[in-house]
Amino acid sequence: MSLKQDYSSCADEQLVAWAKDGDAEAFEELIHRHRDKIYARAMIMLRNEGDALDLSQEAWVKSWQRLRQFQGESTFLTWMTRIIINLCLDQLRRQKRMRAESIEEMEEEVGGVERLMPVEDAKPTEGLESEEVRRRIDEALGKLTDAHRTVVVMHEFEGLEYKEIAKRVGISIGTVMSRLFYARRRLATLLQGLKRERSE
Amino acid sequence: MKTMELTLELQAYVDGELDARRRAEVEKLLAVDPEARSLVGELRAMSELVRANEPVIQVPETREFYWSQIQRRIGTAERQAERDGSKRAGSMHWPRWLVPALGITAVATVLVFIQNPAGTIGAGASFADLGDPVSLTFHSDTDGITIHWIN
Repeated sequence: MSLKQDYSSCADEQLVAWAKDGDAEAFEELIHRHRDKIYARAMIMLRNEGDALDLSQEAWVKSWQRLRQFQGESTFLTWMTRIIINLCLDQLRRQKRMRAESIEEMEEEVGGVERLMPVEDAKPTEGLESEEVRRRIDEALGKLTDAHRTVVVMHEFEGLEYKEIAKRVGISIGTVMSRLFYARRRLATLLQGLKRERSE
Repeated sequence: MKTMELTLELQAYVDGELDARRRAEVEKLLAVDPEARSLVGELRAMSELVRANEPVIQVPETREFYWSQIQRRIGTAERQAERDGSKRAGSMHWPRWLVPALGITAVATVLVFIQNPAGTIGAGASFADLGDPVSLTFHSDTDGITIHWIN
């Protein structure tokens, strides 16, 4: 059995311990295990392959540099996900993509119009293959603004509470709630639209 | 039609963000309000649908190439950190370089003071090399002083 195979059968915790001692091969195995998840998180948030690749690599570099600070309070993947989300938030802030700048965007922000929309079919992806459902959800997420998508990612995929999202994004809890509301209603409409398009 | 406040309260109910008292109030409303029930149903269904179907996206690069890029970036960052460290350490060495110079200056000052406590250094000065590679003597007739530099 080669050394490489030894690494591949080890738990993350063991690999992290070795990587903390400077074992680059153990660290490479951690990257190999989780790189798609970290890249996907950046890609969903930024919607740009170049930026997502760059930031995902930056996240791994930061992880290597800060590995000694990781004390195992969460899983290694959760810790890594936090790093990539913070990098994405910084990138969006730098590009000023987190602010609602037009009147339309401000209306979206508070979900005023969406409150009046009729309730959509609760099963817009019924009967679809799992892969197709994921593809449609990704497509619909891509049509949200960065600000709304960020809140959806942090709430639905990361499972963060309103107050935690508010703290990390730097907005009020009320804004988190209204952005999330708008995003969900918009997603429902978008997915319903995709369902209609495919059935025509 | 629900107010925005009530709508967000319904959403907070779906997300488990309400305390027991407010949760009970919302449940009372849901029991009698079909519109509120529909909205809660849609919000919950959308939340569950998105959570269960997180898009799967793969890194568009091979394992080896991706790792080689990260290795290169780690190397660059470490070299930069070393350079920054050297700069800081270099600036810390300055006082050590100054120690011998300050020592010589101090000795010279003492000698001047001993030989001419109230005077000033003027013209008519001369240096004398005594053949000693580690010392030098300065003498001023005008001021009546002699300074010995000892390296």
